[in-house]
Amino acid sequence: MKQFEYTINDPLGIHARPAGMLVKEAKAFADTVVTITKNGTTVKAGQLMKLMSLGVKQGDVVTVAAEGANEDAAIAALTAFFNNNL
Amino acid sequence: MGLFDKLFGKKEETFDPNHIFAPMAGQTVPVAEVPDPTFAQGILGEGIAIIPADGKVYAPCNATVDTMFETGHACSLVAENGAEILIHVGLETVGLGGKCFKAQVKNGQKVKKGQLMFEADLEGIKAAGLNTITPVLVCNVDDFASLNSHTGNAVTNDDVVIELSK
Repeated sequence: MKQFEYTINDPLGIHARPAGMLVKEAKAFADTVVTITKNGTTVKAGQLMKLMSLGVKQGDVVTVAAEGANEDAAIAALTAFFNNNL
Repeated sequence: MGLFDKLFGKKEETFDPNHIFAPMAGQTVPVAEVPDPTFAQGILGEGIAIIPADGKVYAPCNATVDTMFETGHACSLVAENGAEILIHVGLETVGLGGKCFKAQVKNGQKVKKGQLMFEADLEGIKAAGLNTITPVLVCNVDDFASLNSHTGNAVTNDDVVIELSK
């Protein structure tokens, strides 16, 4: 399992657009489960509703974890995704 | 007539749980026509979009509010049949930071079809230079065998816009 922490910079937090894109990014990695944790609540990145219900805002620290065959590639892609979008 | 009274009496109306009604009055268009790729490309789900004539957003079916976005511009619901429905009023409206929107329901609240959930000031949104087009999407469409949508019509909350089947 690999993971990283990220502090959200975007003033709008994880709203519909980045949530949808995040779900798409996470699903691209076969045999790998991606999760997002905020304040002890963990959701699978592939579950759009649950991701949006986390209400991740600017300043929140989230932990992004990937577990599975493609975890390295997933973490690399997700790190880039967060840096570029959030 | 007695029989009809028994069937359609003064009690609550019951609806087919697989029917999703229009949450707003307006004109329905296919989601592919929404000028925002996040919605048009189906990234968030499948469904329809409404060009609203009125800013009131009513529950499209009996459901539980999953998230009433703090900015009041969108709401996600879980319907009785498990459909996860996202109603997103306008494009880029998250940027209004709550201005032009008034939420009437809270997270976790159960709503009945037709119940007022939130209100949008359509003129305010347009004055801010934003599009009021409202995608209404089923996010977990993979959990269903099929989704049929009806577009190209003027609708109100009494019109079915999406039909699901398991």
